[in-house]
Amino acid sequence: MSITTSSHAVVGTPLRPLRRGRDNCILGGVCGGFATRLGIKERNIRIIFALLTLIFGLGVLLYMTFWLVLTRSGEEHSIIQQIFQNRREAQIVLVAFIATLILVIALQSTGTQVSDGFGWPLLLSAFASFAIWRGASTDERNHLTDFFNSVPVIGGAFSKSRKGVVLRVAIGAALVYFGLDQLNNLGGVWGSAGSALFGTAVLVIGVLVLFAPWWLQNVRELTSERRERVRIEERAAMVAHLHDSVLQTLTLIERAAANEGDVVRLARNQERELRQWLFSPETRTNASTSFVGLVGAIEHDVENDYGVRVDLVTVGDCVPDDRVTTLVAAGREAAINAAKWSEAASISIFTEVEPHSISIFVRDRGVGFDLDAIPADRQGIAMSIRQRMSQLGGEAFVTTAVGDGTEVQLVMPRTT
Amino acid sequence: MTDSAQPRVFLVDDHELIRSGIRAEIASSVDIVGEADEVGAAIEMILERNPDVVLLDVHMPDGGGQAVLRAVGEHDTTTRFLALSVSDASVDVISVIRAGARGYVTKNISGPELVDAIYRIAAGDVVFSPRLAGFVLDAFSTGQDDQPNLVVDPDLDQLTTRERQVLRLIARGYSYKDIAKELTISTKTVESHVSSVLRKLQLSSRYQLSHWASERHLN
Repeated sequence: MSITTSSHAVVGTPLRPLRRGRDNCILGGVCGGFATRLGIKERNIRIIFALLTLIFGLGVLLYMTFWLVLTRSGEEHSIIQQIFQNRREAQIVLVAFIATLILVIALQSTGTQVSDGFGWPLLLSAFASFAIWRGASTDERNHLTDFFNSVPVIGGAFSKSRKGVVLRVAIGAALVYFGLDQLNNLGGVWGSAGSALFGTAVLVIGVLVLFAPWWLQNVRELTSERRERVRIEERAAMVAHLHDSVLQTLTLIERAAANEGDVVRLARNQERELRQWLFSPETRTNASTSFVGLVGAIEHDVENDYGVRVDLVTVGDCVPDDRVTTLVAAGREAAINAAKWSEAASISIFTEVEPHSISIFVRDRGVGFDLDAIPADRQGIAMSIRQRMSQLGGEAFVTTAVGDGTEVQLVMPRTT
Repeated sequence: MTDSAQPRVFLVDDHELIRSGIRAEIASSVDIVGEADEVGAAIEMILERNPDVVLLDVHMPDGGGQAVLRAVGEHDTTTRFLALSVSDASVDVISVIRAGARGYVTKNISGPELVDAIYRIAAGDVVFSPRLAGFVLDAFSTGQDDQPNLVVDPDLDQLTTRERQVLRLIARGYSYKDIAKELTISTKTVESHVSSVLRKLQLSSRYQLSHWASERHLN
């Protein structure tokens, strides 16, 4: 458990509505919420709640109540509101509440220790945590799951590993032993504790008979509902993507039908995007973390700006640093150069990341040129590519002949 | 009847539009002996008509191109397969090659290029697109493997320096002729290098390859 928090309250800011904290929460964010609202440190509020808990568990009860009633920051409804918006959730929680009440009354009438102090608040808190779990938003549930998984003992006990099982058995055995011990203090299993146990058992069976069928049906419906929801969510993501990109492009293509170049460019653009979305989602957007992403941007830009098809083949990948970025910039110039002057319909770009070097090859099958008689403006570009490469300690080669296409090779050693 | 020197080609694709598009582009240069739009019919007709080259769509209902490759592969036949796909997903490419295709091209290939590829497949050669060459280099890369140096059979699990050179040039967009010139070897030698890469691709038990294949329930 390593959740450190810091106050977000700034002196002099106008009072905000009381919301449960999202960034500064450990469990429900109640203390964080108060801290933000009142401009005090979370730690102080947490201490107050902890002290209140000593008075018959009042702190826990209060915490639970606030958790239920206060809206989480960034969300629209409090947990209570969320529960009552959904009829079935409301029913479930209501039944659980009634069951808790019955249990409390029953235990009290059988004369167990519940009545003296902590029993009441504890049972109510147990009910409250159940209600919270039912009503919490998906986001908050995830937070809670993470939280409990990160708690050393509890998190371990729920895992399916061998260690988890051992832990669970140990905890369970300890509880059983403790329970038996308590019963013994009451006067032995065959004494007054016996009738108390018997009464409780009858009560539990009665509750089960009353609610079991309804409960089972609910559970079943809930599972199918959840599955349906996942399916709908996936479908929604797909539809959104198709709508945002594919449909838009098709409309554009219809409009540009007269202009062949535009149609090809649009279709090709869409193809590339869809392909990436389907087959390599990991490089979808991260030009900053991936060399392949950077090179992909060249493909995109050259195709868009010059209407020349780029066949990109990449082998290997790495996280780009300044040198890699410079190398890619040189490659970009080479590609733009080819797109502008070669008159070829397509350019091949091949990149390879090896343990000791990174290479970029830009090749076209266009008109080519005579290296010794290059026009001044093209010389400039060639020079700038060469300069960049020599700064990187790498090399640039240009292979070309009139009518035979051009290839620019850029090789940069890696410093590891 | 068309000229007997033309390869006899069979088309398998479940999209009528794609079939007619391909037909229009290649009909004047090859002898199209039939076409099918589903796996079952394709298997039956290929075995019956015994074409030289089958242009095979990778994605189809009922198992796709791989189902056809496997079913026909069980029979003694001289038919060779060129896989044709809209996708460039490495899983697809590697899987159809491992299922027995002799080459792989994407559907946006130009007409003349496709005809050229068909002739090469018919002549017993292998057709590697630049992208396929890239995948192979990736899969056989020595540097960063998921399971480093788990080489079972060095003959099959590693590429020779020459094979690597040839693949790199293919990935860079070179034709076989360009490659021969660049490496000062004959075109035949280039072809034999590529064929041997194909063999390794099909038989190697290298982790990445088997992984790709098992994802598609191949071996």
